[in-house]
Amino acid sequence: MKVPYSYLPQQFADPEPVLAALRRTLLKHQQYTFGPELEEFEKKMAGYVGARHCLGTSSGTMSLSLLLKAAGVGHDDEVITVSQTFIATVGSIVSVGARPFFVDVLDDFTMDPSCLEDAVTDRTRAIMPVHYSGCPARMDEIRIIADKYELPVIEDACCAIGGRVGGKHVGRFGLGGAFSIHPLKNLNAWGDGGLVVTDSDEVRDRIGLLRNHGFSDGRDRVDVFGFNARLDTIQAVVADWLFPRIDEITDARIAHARRYDEAFGGPEFEGLITLPPRRADARHVYHMYMVLAENRDELLQFLQSRGIEAKVHYPIPVHLQKASLDQPVPFGRTDLSRTEAQCKSLITFPVHQHLDDEQIEYVIDSVGEFYRG
Amino acid sequence: MKVPYVDIGAQYARNSGILEVIAGVLERGQFILGPEVETFERHFADFCGCRFAVGVSSGTDALFLGLKALGIGPGDEVVTVPNTFLSTVAAIVTAGAVPVLVDVGDDYNLDPDLLAAAVGPRTKAIIPVHLTGRPARMKEIAEVAARHGIKILEDAAQAVDAAIDGVSTGALGDLGAFSLHPLKNLNVPGDGGVITLDDEKLRDRLLLLRNHGLKNRNESALFSFNSRLDTLKAAVADAMLKNVPEITSLRNRYAALYDEGFEDLSPFVTHPPRLPALREAFHTYVVQVERREELIEFLARRGVETKIHYPIPVHLMEASRDLGYRKGDFPVAEVQADRIVSLPVHQHLVPQQIEYVIESVRVFYR
Repeated sequence: MKVPYSYLPQQFADPEPVLAALRRTLLKHQQYTFGPELEEFEKKMAGYVGARHCLGTSSGTMSLSLLLKAAGVGHDDEVITVSQTFIATVGSIVSVGARPFFVDVLDDFTMDPSCLEDAVTDRTRAIMPVHYSGCPARMDEIRIIADKYELPVIEDACCAIGGRVGGKHVGRFGLGGAFSIHPLKNLNAWGDGGLVVTDSDEVRDRIGLLRNHGFSDGRDRVDVFGFNARLDTIQAVVADWLFPRIDEITDARIAHARRYDEAFGGPEFEGLITLPPRRADARHVYHMYMVLAENRDELLQFLQSRGIEAKVHYPIPVHLQKASLDQPVPFGRTDLSRTEAQCKSLITFPVHQHLDDEQIEYVIDSVGEFYRG
Repeated sequence: MKVPYVDIGAQYARNSGILEVIAGVLERGQFILGPEVETFERHFADFCGCRFAVGVSSGTDALFLGLKALGIGPGDEVVTVPNTFLSTVAAIVTAGAVPVLVDVGDDYNLDPDLLAAAVGPRTKAIIPVHLTGRPARMKEIAEVAARHGIKILEDAAQAVDAAIDGVSTGALGDLGAFSLHPLKNLNVPGDGGVITLDDEKLRDRLLLLRNHGLKNRNESALFSFNSRLDTLKAAVADAMLKNVPEITSLRNRYAALYDEGFEDLSPFVTHPPRLPALREAFHTYVVQVERREELIEFLARRGVETKIHYPIPVHLMEASRDLGYRKGDFPVAEVQADRIVSLPVHQHLVPQQIEYVIESVRVFYR
């Protein structure tokens, strides 16, 4: 049996409705950047998240960079974040001239709020928690420290569309949140794309300028040099087409994850598979289903040999990447032993909405077979 | 008669194959990088006569990543012109370097006679802009660059398929930055760009820079950006590339009709001297005119859409306040900014529409 990690060929097995929508856009009017399709999609996403504003951007990474820019973070400033993340979190910080200060994570792979105070220096300008794998970070506790030191919180919610804490959508706990609609995300487009959500008019206005060359009034006047960081109109059309399915997609992923949890939490896997703690007050959207596994590398190989596309996100934490080690002045960090230990046993099982129950059982059986030897 | 300035709708109506190209990408289900991007890059490199091409997310990022690949950053200076789309200057600022501007000649492009005076010990690169699709005076620019050991990054955002003595834009400097924006001669349905070059080490660096610094899925050699050319767009660009020579020749034919039609209208209407060594690839057809605002209004009333590229030179924009320039610093560019107008020249027009524009301009000055 095959259990593929990517589902894109299935998701668009019948592309006709999207192509029809595209045909209308492509032929009817001549706008491939901005236009009513983008505005419509932005309005829907703002509504879904419950934020006052949503702006489309060219990627999740760019959404983070734009939020940092809007927060006034720049050269030699420090941003507290985690090393247990995709490289782009830190890439966005470095791209605005700032430096990350790494703190360790909890057993659920998200920022450990108890490390934050040790990481605050006189250069700290923002805190960037990551809702890694789709699991909301401890926003209430992070906010307490952020408020105490008057630091803006910028949420890396690139993996976490649909994620909530106590009914409040991620991306709404600070100055703004960044989402990705990369092809493999829970809500996706046909190429790179991102979103920024914020309640702040000022941030909305600033990012509105920065994403489009700084144009304020038509195309002749520019008050600030910006970037070209627009969400393509056609990508907005695609994402808008998928929009009504966000919760259906998320619920299917959650159902698969529950089944995995039930199985891997059982006595058969004790001491072999360690589940991250699950919180009743948070909606984890399972962009990735990640657990810790004994003999991870062999398990990975075994599963792959059985047609199961398991992955490791990621074997090397950001602070141990060459990009970090090459820094002439080392990045600040607290103790990161939990992050480092996790990276040695992290494994990601396929959890996407196009898998059926039989495929999930096959993964569970295969993991069992591996450990039974 | 209506003469629209742009008509992208017509392009997709006449190339319904584009949606089939998109459907083909859907079937394979890979939307990030992959064989379509590589194929387009190979074809585009061949088209320009370069060893390599690297697809990126926009023309702006092509310039920005080009500068980054050359190692340009804080403390460095980069020379370019004030009469360009502002992202030429923005790319330099984004890279952390200081833009040093020089005035232009009657071809709207960098005046090489002023170049040597602008080059100093901190100068790391020159960005000549091939504005309107006309190659800048690269031979003289290259001489100055060679003398000072500095690099040339061509801003060829408007100049796909142009050439000097048979050498294509993109192959005239160390690096060439192209835009695939919907309004460009070679376009995609969204933002896109591509960089051309011969240097393999620089190419490898660009591949890292555009994709988070990732050497492979798990290892990052440097912190960088997400600035990829979408697979879907690469597939469209590759399908469109074969139309470029025809697009260029139609646009050039319309430009020649204009030139001829305005021949006896000097000094009311003047165009840059046309040189036999140059192959221009008219992205815009820009003339200098007397009583510009009145002419624009007159043409608009007759259904002829015009534009101005660009009414405010970059050094006079609010964004440039920290660069220390003032009105009067670049007299040629400033005079041109008050006199230039862009007439419709795209490939979806028919010759009768061009004749109509010429006739309308003639009526205005009569």
